[in-house]
Parts: sequence; structure tokens; C-alpha cells
Amino acid sequence: MKLEYNGQEKVQASLETVWGFIQDPNKVASCLPDLKSVDIKDDKNMVATVGVAVGPVRGSFRFNIELDPRPEENKMLVRIRGGGLGSAVDLIASANINGQDNQTTLLDWNGVASVSGPAATVGGRVLDAQAKKLIETVFANMGKKMGQA
Amino acid sequence: MSVESTNLEPKGIQGLGKAIKRKEDPRFIVGKGGYLDDINLPGMLHMALVHSPYAHARILSIDTSEALKIPGVKAVITSRELAGASLAWVPTLAGDKQMVLADGKVLYQYQEVAAVFAETRQAAADGAAAVQVDYLPLEVVVDPFKATDPSAPVLREDIQGKMTGAHGPRRHDNHIWTWDVGSKDETDKALAQSEVRIKQHMVYPRSHPAPLEPCGCIGDMNKATGRLTVYMTSQAPHAIRTVLSLVTGIPENNIRVISPDIGGGFGNKVPVYPGYVCAIVGSIVLGAPVKWVETRTENLTTTGFARDYHMDIEIGATRDGRVTAMKVYTLADHGAFDAAADPSKYPAGLFSICTGSYDFQKAYAEVEAVYTNKAPGGVAYRCSFRVTEASYLIERSMDALALELKMDPAELRLKNFIQPQQFPYPSALGWTYDSGDYEKTLKVALDRIGYSELRKEQAEKRARGELMGIGISTFTEIVGAGPSKDFDILGLKMFDGAEIRIHPSGSAIVRAGTRHQGQGHETTWAQIVSEELGLDVDKIIVEEGDTDTAPYGLGTYASRSTPTAGGAMVLGARRIREKARKIAAHLLEVGEGDIEWADKKFAVRGVPGKSVTMNEVAFAAYTNLPPDLEPGLETTYYYDPPNLTFPHGAYICVVEIDQGTGEVRVQRFVAIDDCGTIINPMIVEGQVHGGLTEGFAIAFMQEIAFDNQGNHLASNFTDYLLPTSLETPRWETGHTVTPSPHHPIGAKGVGESPTVGSPAAFVNAVVDALAHLGVRHIDMPITREKVWKVLRQAGVDSF
Amino acid sequence: MEITLLINGAEKKLNVEPRTLLVHAIRDAGLTGTHIGCDSSSCGVCTVVLDGKTAVKSCTMFAVQAEGHAITTIEGMANGGKLHPLQQAFYDQHGLQCGYCTPGMIMSAHALLQHNPSPSEDEIRFGLSGNLCRCTGYQNIVKAVQQAAQMLQQPVGTAADD
Repeated sequence: MKLEYNGQEKVQASLETVWGFIQDPNKVASCLPDLKSVDIKDDKNMVATVGVAVGPVRGSFRFNIELDPRPEENKMLVRIRGGGLGSAVDLIASANINGQDNQTTLLDWNGVASVSGPAATVGGRVLDAQAKKLIETVFANMGKKMGQA
Repeated sequence: MSVESTNLEPKGIQGLGKAIKRKEDPRFIVGKGGYLDDINLPGMLHMALVHSPYAHARILSIDTSEALKIPGVKAVITSRELAGASLAWVPTLAGDKQMVLADGKVLYQYQEVAAVFAETRQAAADGAAAVQVDYLPLEVVVDPFKATDPSAPVLREDIQGKMTGAHGPRRHDNHIWTWDVGSKDETDKALAQSEVRIKQHMVYPRSHPAPLEPCGCIGDMNKATGRLTVYMTSQAPHAIRTVLSLVTGIPENNIRVISPDIGGGFGNKVPVYPGYVCAIVGSIVLGAPVKWVETRTENLTTTGFARDYHMDIEIGATRDGRVTAMKVYTLADHGAFDAAADPSKYPAGLFSICTGSYDFQKAYAEVEAVYTNKAPGGVAYRCSFRVTEASYLIERSMDALALELKMDPAELRLKNFIQPQQFPYPSALGWTYDSGDYEKTLKVALDRIGYSELRKEQAEKRARGELMGIGISTFTEIVGAGPSKDFDILGLKMFDGAEIRIHPSGSAIVRAGTRHQGQGHETTWAQIVSEELGLDVDKIIVEEGDTDTAPYGLGTYASRSTPTAGGAMVLGARRIREKARKIAAHLLEVGEGDIEWADKKFAVRGVPGKSVTMNEVAFAAYTNLPPDLEPGLETTYYYDPPNLTFPHGAYICVVEIDQGTGEVRVQRFVAIDDCGTIINPMIVEGQVHGGLTEGFAIAFMQEIAFDNQGNHLASNFTDYLLPTSLETPRWETGHTVTPSPHHPIGAKGVGESPTVGSPAAFVNAVVDALAHLGVRHIDMPITREKVWKVLRQAGVDSF
Repeated sequence: MEITLLINGAEKKLNVEPRTLLVHAIRDAGLTGTHIGCDSSSCGVCTVVLDGKTAVKSCTMFAVQAEGHAITTIEGMANGGKLHPLQQAFYDQHGLQCGYCTPGMIMSAHALLQHNPSPSEDEIRFGLSGNLCRCTGYQNIVKAVQQAAQMLQQPVGTAADD
């Protein structure tokens, strides 16, 4: 099951603050909803365990998360691969990062996810809405936390 | 409303044709059936499997460390451990090989990747969830028509570049085999000369037998004795024992396969599955019994699917409706391994019965099989090796031809039936039909349903804008494999065995190499023996499924039990009767030639009242023998039938369609079956009810579907729909009797006829209801959504 | 954790995990007539009767939720060796083939007849629609429930059909 989402987050923070935030795996991980644990491998890679509930498919998913910042393109790529409960998720999220003024930065984000297994089949009827909510929450959390940073 | 039971008590002498209640029922109705999961052995471990979420992916790593930390988890095995025992791959029934646990890559979603052994069912499941597998997803092949594209990814790297398989040359790495039969040139010529030709593409969708009891197994290796006991939900325990011996190297006499009560099989429980192999390996390695019972999802996603035939047919006929020739091309989607359960010489099973009940002079059929990223299988789901696909194809096509010719479909069939005097009938594709009277059976069905009145009613309704359709299917089956000259599985000839032992006091135990799963063998075998030997059915025990005690046989599937083991039972009983005749002559103090078997007793010819019963003879066999006669009264008989049997039937279905919702309502369904001699009419009727219900399910509900990434879309009973009591139609059944000339009692087998014959009747009825709107065909399953779309496309208003 | 269930009139103390399903608890207690056929509460082969009148798919309930409740399983239907009319009727009418759905089917029918002692065919089909059967096509099951309903309405002491 292929899913695609996009949106925009207006962050009350400077461009430098935003870049500083998204290149810190600890900070990025803290934006994942229902984060159970995170194991930072290096400054680009981490393994996060996240609580997931897609219809009757409920439990923990484990994700390998790779951060791929591309400041020269004003772009941040995040590759997520993993899953749990017999299901797999492959997600590539990208965000174009544009500073508006000293205190505002725009994140134009886009996510393409491929979901396999019971999460897609059993949970398929509710997956779309859930996944959308999940990814929106991640970016909303980022916006909020960046603003506080 | 009064419901009376006219079924007889299973007591006394009850031979052929008696509707006696089943001898196996008393244990089931009190909850004392003994199914696999009811067996618990001391010290038994439980196994759970890890499955792939991807349909095609390379395995980068498998980390079992977290799983092994879970309390109660004893061990985890992967393909690497199996390779140490030379069991990473095992041979399939179709001459291919398959992975037991994923070796390097996964080829279908839910493929087995690791097995976890633990002290409890829960710990095993927890352990399986904790195994971490890192995958690299690969391009997926879902559509069989794209499997052999030049750009398609190679699925089976183990045989990459190996361009000859078990069934001949391969033209692409994802091509398995091409099989054909008949004369292509002559058929093409006859088609070219035909006044009328029709072409139709139709799909027999992928389905799954889904018996209510999932598959399961307990491996129990006794290290002290070196004996391996395997409890398994198997329709073919003897064949399993031989295969286990061949793949494990354990001598066959040190393997005992016990197939306990089986909660439905329908073909699902014929093959060997990875779970079985892992449970057995686990027991050998860990020295404790290991139980594995499938979840429903495992059952639907990994064990033997059925059908998935994509068929193109062309039929030629004269303008006045006489068929001349047929040509068929079929693409068969076999999934990731060719594990189809077919006799060795027939990779497309008995699909060449596709000329059906009709006198085709020329025919040609070609089947190509390809690999895709789907689970392996190709089992005969309540079907005799692809006869279901063939029957659906020809019966749908006859309706398509009738529509083209503007001829009544019953009339077209009557015009083309093979006639009674043509039997034994050699078909254009090489079979010799044993017997049949197709016209008689169809006429009984037409009469029973009131066909001509129904056609009038249909015309009236159509004039009012209502949608009513009538569908006919006059199928011919081909069952009872089989003559050993043609049929074997992995070299094992497809005969079957029966053992009859009569005890001194006149009771008996009877065993067979078949294994029933609800078909009622414990009753019908007893009735055969009661008929042939005059023993009381309540004094005959029937036992199947234990390879240590039952005679060898290839098992119960493909409607073969009555044609094969049933034949063995009859001839074994007759052999005993010949010995008993000598004892009777001794007891009656006359010559053997003066003894006749009459009224199920031995009587002295011409001397009324002078007779002995089999009970008396049995006692004498152990107490008072004539000189020079071997004591005892028992035999084992192996029956190799001279030919297959060809049951047939005429089914007529009436449907009405709700033009607003697309709902198809089956108003009536008449099924007249001819399965030759009937042993127990109650059981035969029950088989027909059940088979029709499965045919109904396939026509309207059941489908194993995939999305374009290979996600399995029918992995549980909320997505794979089985009919309940609410939507199942009321069946009207009946019989004609055309005995098989070569079977010892003329019986042909019936278990599958209704599943084979009915889908075409349902679909024909739906198309008939919509034909005036220009509809020519709708593929199964005919869901409301599909019909709704067809109606909207045809411009029919919702109200 | 330890729970007490009243199964077929007998008190059973069972040690279960909080996540143990009632069907597993019943089967682990040795009553294997209650079967398991799916993991989605679709098939009904695990049906038992709760407190004498409610049919429950025992895979939809945790064992701990049944604490203190009376549970009737197929093993509790026969009375001192005499078959319950439903059991007799399933036998008489060939209402079973492989037998796997039979216990759950009988328990659902039992609950149905408690609420509706003389159901019509449609009411029987509706009442049993939570129980799947792959073998019989339901037709003889419906007849069996009709026969049982008649037997249950006969005055005590008179024989039923046979």
C-alpha cells in the first residue's frame, strides 16, 4: 500500500535554529509520537521504538531512521525503514526549509510511505487516516519544539 | 412444521443404499473428537513462525538475540540451521523445490523466515515477535502476465539460467513449464472451417480451501528408541511418511505418522508445509515433542492456495449448434515455488477434461505456468486436479456459445451430449469416459425445476424491467486417480489399500490407506463390508490415519476414496468371502460347490433353511476349521483401478438481481448428481450440500487477492469471506444412477462434484440475467460491487 | 493470576495470564471440545454459553473476565449419558461432517432456543449466522435445530422422533 502526504509547517524559529534541531537525532526522535525508546547510533542514524495502533494492529514498531540533511539544497531527507507485528514500513520524508525572516521558517514537507503486512491489509481501512495523522503530528511536534528551542 | 428423521440407526446388517446415521458422530456431538490441537504430550514445546512482511526482498540480517532473552524461549532456527541438516530446501510434489525457511531472500508476503521454540504457546509467539529481520525490498511480480516480461526481476535465483525444469524447457527465468495436449493443427483447421466461432477470456480466481481447523503438527522424536512419531493434519499420511523418510534419511519403519480427526481438509491438508518440517526438526534437535498449529492468517497466506487459472477459449460450431472444435490457452499462476499437488505426469492435473460432456471431435489445450511473488500451492480444492477449472471453462463457454447462436442453453447441451451408446467414450484429449447418461440427468433437472415455466417467468419479468437469470451446468468429472499405469505422486503409484480383520465373535476392524476429513468413511466402509460379508455395521470399527496399522494408500483427496479404497474394501471382503465359503461348506457338511451366498448368508443350494451366517463362519475360522485351511479370517487388498471414474451432474440455478444494489439472490438451485452406485444416500446428500455451498462461495465471495505490492488482501475471515447460514441458498438435490462399469460396486465418488459443477451454474445464471443488456461475462467472485458497476455501465437506473 | 470459573457446574481454579483468552483457559483445563478456528472472532467454533443463556465466542473474552460466571461447553450438554436434544438432533439429521464446528454450533443453537423456543427457519439461520461451517451447507443443521426445538417442547417423558 503506497501512501503520499504533504503539508506545511510554519515554525516560530530562525533558520539556524531549525537546522540545528533537525540535525540532532535526539531532538528529531523526541518528535515521534508515543516514542518508547531510542538508540542513537551516530549523528545520522538511530533506532526508535514507537507505539503504533492501526485498527486492530496494535503494538510496537521498530524503525531504523537515517537523517540526510542537505543544507546546500535547503532540504532535509529522512529515510525510515522498519516495522513490527509482521508489518513493514518504508518511508521517505523530505522537507524544503525556507527561512522567512529572523523568527519564522517554513517547512514544506512531503512523505511517501509504503506499508506491507497486516498494517496494510487488516488495518488498511484506517491506515490512510492514521498515517496522515502520524506524519502531521511529527511535523507539528517539530514546529512546536523548534519554537521552544 | 414437523421435522422427522428418516435416517436409520447404524445397527444390524446395513448395506448399500441405506441412509444410516454416521458411526463417527457420537464422539463429535459430545465434544470428544480428537483433533490435532487436542493432543498434548509431556514436556511438549510450542513453535511459532516469523513471517515476511514483504512479497519480495533480500534478507540483510536476522537477529535472534532479543527473542532468546524471552523467558521460556528455547531456540530459534533459520535457514542456516536447516542447511546444516540438509533441509533448507525440500522437494515439492511438482518436481520443483521450495525453501523451508527463507534462504537469502523472501519470495512472497508472509513467507516463513524463522521458527521459535518455547515452553508455552505465548512465549513462542512473543519470541517470534522479537526476532529482528532487516530486509531490502525488491521489485515485486504480482501479475502473472508480466512475469515473463524481459524486464521482470528474476524471482528464483536458485534456478536462474537453468532453462530445463521438471516438465521440460523454460523460456524465461520466471517460466516454469508449458504443457499441451491434443492436435493444434487439426484443431486450428477445424476452427477455421467452423461456421460460428466464439472466444472468451475468463479467470478462475485464486482461492483457498480454508477448512475450519487450521493445519498443524506435533513432531515427537524419541531419542531412546530412534522413532519419530508425527501427528499431522494430513489427508495422505502414508505418502507423508515416505516423503519424510526420503528427506530426513530416517528409515521409514522408524517413522509413524498419525493423522488424528481432521476438521475439514478440502485439499489444504495434502502438501508438506514448512511449519511441519520445522516442528519435526525442532523435535529432533531439542529432544522434546514440538507442536505447531497455524493461525488463521498463516493458513490463508502460506498454505496451499487453489486455482489462479487465466483461461482463453475458442469454440467452433455449426450454425445449427453442433460443436466442432475447442482450443484453450491457460496461464497458470503458481506463486513462488511450483508446489502444485498433481500426479507426476500431469503438471496441469486433469485439466484436459475440458471437453466436458460434449462430443468434440477436435481439441487442443495448452497451459503455461509461471512464478510470481505469491505463496506456492495449486492444491485441488475440493477438486480432482484442475477438473474444477476445466469444468467451469467448458460450462461457461457452452452458455457463451448458446448466446452467440441465440439458442436455449439446455437445447445446445442436449444437442451436443456424448450419447449413452458412445461409452466407453474416447475424448479428443485422451481420456476414456467410463459411463454416463447426460441427457437423462439434465432432463430430470429441467423437469424438477420447471424449466419451461421459468423461461416464461423470466420473459415476463424482463418485460417489467426485472432481472432474472437461469444458469445451467452439465458437468463431467474425472476422479478416482488412479490407474497406476498413468498416475503417481513422486513415483508412488496411486492405488489404495484396505485391510479387513474379522474376530472370532463376528466383530471386525477395517482399515484403509485413505484418511477422511468429514466424508463419513467410518460409516460407508462399514456399509460396504456389511453388504459384502453380512456383518452388523455396529460391530465393524473403521480406522484410518495411523501408518503403523493402516495398509498403504495415497490418501483422501480428488474424490478418490470410494473409487480406490472403496474398491479395495469390496474386493478384500470378497476375498474373505471365498475363504469363508470353504468354512461354511465344512460347517454345513456339503461340497463348496453346493454353497451359495444369498440373503447375506451361506446357504446350501436347493435346501431351504440350511445356512450359516458370517458370524458362525468367523467363529469357526478360529475354532473349527476344515483340514488344510489357514486359520483366521482377514485380508489386505490393494486395489489398482483399471480406469478413472467419471461422475456427472446437471445443475440449474435461478437468480434475481437487485438492480439498485447489485445483490444477486439465488432463488432456487437444483442439483441432480450421478455418482454411480450410492452407498449411503444421507452422506451423499450431505456432501452435495457442502460442495454446493463451497461452489457458491467461490462464485460470489471467496478470493485470495493481492495489491500491486504483493500485499495479501484476504489474510483472515473478515477479508476472506465464507458464506454463513444467512446467505447460503436452500439446495434441492436428486440423483440419477449410472454405475461405473469397472468399479466393483459401480460407485464413482461424489465429494467434489458439487464444487466442480456449481460455479458455472451460478455465473451462467447471472450472465443470463444481464445478457439482454449486452453483458457477456463477469469473472468470479461476482460481488455486489462488480454487478453494480456492470449495471451502471449498462445504463440501468438504480430504481 | 488465579481465577475461579464455574464450568459445566463444576468449580475450576485456573492460573492464567491476564492476556489469556477464555477459549485457551477452557481448553487448557482439558475441555477440548471447544475449538479454535480463526483469530478474528469470525468462525464461532469456540462458542460457549455464559450464565446459561448467552452465546459467547470464547476468543472474544479474556479468561479473567469470566471470573465468577457459569460457563457451559459442549461437554456439559449431555445429562448423565443422555444426549441433549440438540446433540441427538445433529446426529439424527446428519448436521455435521468433520465435526469441528459442531460444538460451537450446538452451543449457539442452545442459546438461540433459550430465547426463542420455536424459531422459524429464517430465525434459525439468523441465529446461527455467527457460526461458520465448511462441510454441511447449513441445511441439515437448520433441520437439526428444528428437530431439537420440537423435542424440547414435548412433554417430559414422551420420546421424540425416534
